[in-house]
Amino acid sequence: MFNININSIIICFKHLRKTLFSNLFNTVITFLIILFIGVACFYTFEWLIFKANWKAVISNLPLYAFGSFPPKEQWRPAIWIISLLLLSIFTLCGPDWKWLRKNLPIAWVGSIPLGLYLLYGGLGLSPIMSRHWGGLTLTILLTVCSSLLSLPLGIVLALCRQSSLPLIKKLSSIYIDVMRAIPLIAVLFFGQLLIPLFLPVGIEIDRVWRAIFAFTLFVSAYIAEDIRGGLQSIPYTQTEAANSLGLNQYQIIQLILIPQALRIALPALTNQFIGLFQNTSLMAILGLVELLGVGRSILANPEFIGQYIEVYVWLASVYWMVCTIMAVLARHLEQRMTINQANF
Amino acid sequence: MKTNQKILLQFGICIFLFILIGILINNLTINLLRTGLGFNFSWLFKPASFALAEHPLPYTSSDSYAWALFIGWLNSLKVIVSSLILATFLGTLIGFARTGKNSLLGLISAGYITVIRQTPLLLQLMFWYFVGFLGLKDNMFIQIKNIFNLSNQGIEFSGLTFSSEFLALLIGLSIFTSAYIAEVIRGGILSVPRGQWEAFRSLGLSESKGLIRIIIPQALPAIIPGLTSQYLNLAKNSTLAIAVGYSDIYAINDTITNQTGRAIECFIILLFSFLLLNLLITNTMEIINRLILKSQKYS
Amino acid sequence: MEPIVIAKNLTKSYTKGLRALDNVSLTVDQGKVLVVMGPSGSGKSTLIRTFNGLETFDKGELDILGIKVDSSHDERKIQKIRRRVGMVFQQFNLFPHLSILENITLAPVHVQKRRQIEAEEYGMYLLSQMGIDSHAKKYPSQLSGGEQQRVAIARALALKPELLLFDEPTSALDPERINEVLDEMRRLAEQGMTMVVVTHEIGFAKDVSDQVLFMDSGKVIETSPPNIFFSNARHERSRKFLNQLDKHK
Repeated sequence: MFNININSIIICFKHLRKTLFSNLFNTVITFLIILFIGVACFYTFEWLIFKANWKAVISNLPLYAFGSFPPKEQWRPAIWIISLLLLSIFTLCGPDWKWLRKNLPIAWVGSIPLGLYLLYGGLGLSPIMSRHWGGLTLTILLTVCSSLLSLPLGIVLALCRQSSLPLIKKLSSIYIDVMRAIPLIAVLFFGQLLIPLFLPVGIEIDRVWRAIFAFTLFVSAYIAEDIRGGLQSIPYTQTEAANSLGLNQYQIIQLILIPQALRIALPALTNQFIGLFQNTSLMAILGLVELLGVGRSILANPEFIGQYIEVYVWLASVYWMVCTIMAVLARHLEQRMTINQANF
Repeated sequence: MKTNQKILLQFGICIFLFILIGILINNLTINLLRTGLGFNFSWLFKPASFALAEHPLPYTSSDSYAWALFIGWLNSLKVIVSSLILATFLGTLIGFARTGKNSLLGLISAGYITVIRQTPLLLQLMFWYFVGFLGLKDNMFIQIKNIFNLSNQGIEFSGLTFSSEFLALLIGLSIFTSAYIAEVIRGGILSVPRGQWEAFRSLGLSESKGLIRIIIPQALPAIIPGLTSQYLNLAKNSTLAIAVGYSDIYAINDTITNQTGRAIECFIILLFSFLLLNLLITNTMEIINRLILKSQKYS
Repeated sequence: MEPIVIAKNLTKSYTKGLRALDNVSLTVDQGKVLVVMGPSGSGKSTLIRTFNGLETFDKGELDILGIKVDSSHDERKIQKIRRRVGMVFQQFNLFPHLSILENITLAPVHVQKRRQIEAEEYGMYLLSQMGIDSHAKKYPSQLSGGEQQRVAIARALALKPELLLFDEPTSALDPERINEVLDEMRRLAEQGMTMVVVTHEIGFAKDVSDQVLFMDSGKVIETSPPNIFFSNARHERSRKFLNQLDKHK
């Protein structure tokens, strides 16, 4: 045991010498980098521990998590976020029982109506208007709802773009290309203004849902392109084999093409959803008090004025954490699929 | 499916879309009548009556909306082109560091890429603006021989002035985009077969020479399309200028929409401004791509 | 004896002058095995792919299991044919995202609307007949080529077809794996399955087939029983082809 360790350390050293100290120039560079890292670490830790004033973060933790949700009811979004966290942990490290694995997707999809019920209230819970939603809860809600809506829309758009009917093909191409040409903030801003204009008089949608619809319209165009890439990389012989078994066109799309295209497009789709999560921060400048919006409103409070660095560093680490969780979950899903289907 | 079935289906979809669009337009006209706005573009030539802090061409608040929009478009172009150059430079350096032999450099650049990619751009922009520039105290500025001045008003460099809004946007966009460009460069370098590295090493070429003469020319065809899509993203992301108060095309559109209430017209104008920008970028990249292919005389 | 396949003057041209099928006529009776041979590009794959509508043709008539198809390629009739005709491809074409058993039960459940349990039982029976029932839960990429091809045969059999089409079923296999697939096909022939097989395997054609059809540039050069075809082919072109095949062996 001990021997192996010494051996591996020696190998490690040899490797380091080869890569870091191969010649004079590399040696100098390496020492400069080590010096730089050392100084940077020293100042960062000094700032983190002694200089930074974390009051703006610590005294506002509930605000970051729930926004202006009534304090008495804050257990509701808390339950939702905790259940999402538990579900993530369960998905990653849970036991490998078959019935459990089969029901996990259902649990994930079911977490959305649960979240909406807990936030909106009704049926025994006191109702709460969407303008009181905020903080991380709102950020996650925007991400989850828009992802869930944009995935089927993206699939339909991708199929339409691959269709043999010229009219459908043209229309979906125009939609996808136009959506991909304009910046997201324009879609969100004009979505807030234009969606009410296109609705009949008397019907109104609140700000949160207008944002979700705008995000859905935008992201689905990108998802459509990713899925189209997946569809195009499925060999035509798959369709032929399905044809020879007597499956009809819709069965082929549903049972053969879409599952394979989703599997191929999974890494790209993960990036889209992580991007979507980050981009919900744009709603901060369009009047929703989500995570970044909470940060802005706290910085506008005279009590915490000027504490930009602390708040921004804190927000960045929260965004970073959630993004990392999403990426790890996606990699886990990918691995489960490749274990099953080596060399897909 | 038979041809007549296909035609029938498309016909049906056509009718459905017509009805849908009809309902939407009907709602729209009712709503526009209620607000008394209607749909026209003649307001474009009325005076804008708002000031712009930054204008590469002469502009006063009595100039027309159309001129203000054009100034905004130029401002956009200015920040896009300059951050495009800076981001490409930074991204290439980091991409090489990521693929290079020095594992410490590789580690640092990998850390840089994950931190930048896993935090929202808007947050980064606000950081650079509020912490990087406005954080400088009023009395604090760095001056080097009257040539280079840095203060919370921006930078003055041998007669040229850059506002802090422009600089914050430039730095934020460049750093954000460079992390993505680094990944594109890395992908391109990895797409060159390992045998090519072994071949130039066996010929006795130095690492740097081999990289420049052998690897990069072969990696370029894989890099160019990735770069193009990153540049398009950069152009779209530049609209976050509004968060730091830089008057780009979107910020001016936003102001005008709030001032006149003409959301639909402004949306159309913005759409076409961006189609123009995208065309500019894709065509330039297409020309570059063709030049590279021509100079390599293969494929 | 009732004919299963009747083709009359099938003609298909890709571009002007180049014909994939040129006036092809043939009959396959029930329980018989027809082997189609010919050089690559001779149209033999195209021919059997017309039998289940994967390829269209321009002229002629086709009667498969009493269902008549012409050049108009009636989708409904072809769907009816496909439900009763199985096909095995050169590249197996298993569905990579489905397990072996799911590959086999897919069509019975979704096309014939049989119950899942019933389809699975029959699928397991087919797999155990081929000695690969231990792989039922695995995915196609975890199996060898020969095993994948046997799964593909089981998948075609799951619909209880009245006619089986084989399009060069052993061409993509390692030489040592060819026999496990050929043995399966022999067993099916013994059980009285009607089969049309495109193959270069002379041994299989000699032992199993009732008729050998030789094609070149879209035309049927000759149709003979195997003992005549391989010992004393009627046409010069067939003899040349057989000579070349022998040289390669």
